[in-house]
Amino acid sequence: MKRYLGLAAALMLVCGIAFSAQAQQTVKIGFITPLTGFAAADGYSSLESAKLAVDYVNEHGGIKGKKLELVSYDDACQPDQASALTKKLIENDKVVVMISGSYSSPSRAAAVICQQAKVPFTSTYAVHPSIVEAGEYCHRIGMAAPIQGRTGGYFAARELAAKRIALLIMNNDFGVSLAEAFKETAIKLGAQIVYEKKYPLGETEFRSYLNAIKAANPDLIYAPGYYNEAANIVSQAREVGLKCWLMGDEGYDSPKFIELAKSAANGVFITTDLNRDSDRPMTQYFLKNYKKRTNIDADMVGASAFDAVMLVSHILNKVGTDANKIIQYWDTIKNFEDCATGPILMFQNRSAIRPMDIQIVLNNKFRYFYRYYEPEVIYLGKGSEGK
Amino acid sequence: MLQLLVDAFVLGCSYALMAVGLNMVYGLLRIIHVAHAALYTLGAYVGLYCLYHLSQSLWLSLTLGAVFPALVGALMYRIIYSPVLSAPRYVALIAGAGVFIASQEFYRLIAGPYPYPFNAQFKFLSISSSHLNVTETQMLIITFMMCAFLCLYLIINNTNLGLMWRACTQDMELAASSGININLIIAINFIIGSALAGSAGVLMALYRNSVFPTMGAMVSYKAFVVVVLGGFGSIPGAAIAGILLALAESLLGMVPFFNLPRDAIAFLVMVLVLMFKPKGLFGR
Repeated sequence: MKRYLGLAAALMLVCGIAFSAQAQQTVKIGFITPLTGFAAADGYSSLESAKLAVDYVNEHGGIKGKKLELVSYDDACQPDQASALTKKLIENDKVVVMISGSYSSPSRAAAVICQQAKVPFTSTYAVHPSIVEAGEYCHRIGMAAPIQGRTGGYFAARELAAKRIALLIMNNDFGVSLAEAFKETAIKLGAQIVYEKKYPLGETEFRSYLNAIKAANPDLIYAPGYYNEAANIVSQAREVGLKCWLMGDEGYDSPKFIELAKSAANGVFITTDLNRDSDRPMTQYFLKNYKKRTNIDADMVGASAFDAVMLVSHILNKVGTDANKIIQYWDTIKNFEDCATGPILMFQNRSAIRPMDIQIVLNNKFRYFYRYYEPEVIYLGKGSEGK
Repeated sequence: MLQLLVDAFVLGCSYALMAVGLNMVYGLLRIIHVAHAALYTLGAYVGLYCLYHLSQSLWLSLTLGAVFPALVGALMYRIIYSPVLSAPRYVALIAGAGVFIASQEFYRLIAGPYPYPFNAQFKFLSISSSHLNVTETQMLIITFMMCAFLCLYLIINNTNLGLMWRACTQDMELAASSGININLIIAINFIIGSALAGSAGVLMALYRNSVFPTMGAMVSYKAFVVVVLGGFGSIPGAAIAGILLALAESLLGMVPFFNLPRDAIAFLVMVLVLMFKPKGLFGR
């Protein structure tokens, strides 16, 4: 009998522990990102960075004493999967905030679902203006295309005084929306577009375009796209003998770009929000620990995902998990410093506003080159863009 | 202009190398071998592995990058295609597509999603003058393609093996009843085609300086266009169509503000050819 009593006591103890573990509930945030398919590399950076941020938050007290939990699924960069998974995260996993670590089209699909379900949503590095247009629950941590393209335009046409500009545009939401903003700004500042061409994702052969560009004799080529294609563009541009300036965007911002383009990457300008030369502690924390965690150097995509988790946990710590309080507080955030990019000055029309950086590749490294604080560059215009 | 032609020619060589294997399989089995592009990526990864772990030499990685996919190609026939040959042809098509998609994720699981640079050291001829600049890699691709096609041509037209192969493409059953070991011929067919795909993978990895899991995606459907253009089953057709397509793409790509992407041009050309010459430019 005594023996059974001991057993019963032990059982109760176990149950007690289990129960208390149950009682210490977690705060769940949903995360979708492409872990398979053509965008798997960005998905990996994005997910690992988000996990890094979750670990940081949990080491520093979690969310009001509760652990922060990241529930993530692979959307394969497909909008249909993104919307199905977002529904699943909201209905089954009961996440309180949704983060999309995916491209523009899946992010748009997820935003619409979150708006309907009234769950706060943020995209990370997706740039398309329409993501935040889904409604008051939808935000953006990264740089909106109208701002980023415009920054590129100012830098090309004003700072570099390029008069003749060639555009080589990746034919998707990302490339086209950046090119539109760039073109508008550059023309307004007196530059002339001497060549314009769209190319599909996955293109590897640019010599015929570049030869035509060479014949058009531009001062600068703006080629919005991702680093895989960009590496081919810049190395082939140098190979065909183009000596003009080359300018890209945050899609180039990966150590892989320099590895693939080799010395041709030197001298390329990009617009980005990850300043590796920054002495801000959170930037350095991110760069160091991402490398430690994955054994790969960090990129912009990862930094955006890291910042999204940091910002969301900051909001959850301030106002709790009520959706309406979250989105009300979100709009009032000023000078948020706990992020790897930025700092984030404020949210305008639910898009993050931050000083815009120009970086240059020098000696096979991304280096700080120029920073814009001017309101006409870094804020959304009064028009309809990014509403 | 000359430069443009040379660049397009190199691109055409890569299309042709891929399309020939595809066309050889079609000529023999009348199936569309979608998984062919998986062998292209495999070649690139095997070459990359050699480069990182065995030797800095390009020649070794090119050799292994051809041999290994060749064996895998033969296995692919035994395991995937051979059981479904008697089924309707779309079964083989779907099986091949399944293998291709699965292979991309397989490469990603093994090697990770990031692209790797392909820094091989080698010495080869090159031309650099004020008018024309042909890099060592471009020269290598052109030479390789010429040699490969010459060998293939000689094998098909001047050897017993070639004779048997031609007999099989005309009528498999009749060939079998004449005492030809058709399984052997099919296996050799897959080995040659896959070796070409694998070496194309290594060469393009070198040319683009990058290897990544989905590098075969664009190639798979481009090779298909080339096969349709050249005529199903015609090997010289595939070679010539590959080069013609690359020229067409490059020349139309020169026209500024003509905002049709390269692939759209390829498929537009394919539709036009199908409308006027449904059997392809060199179809039988």
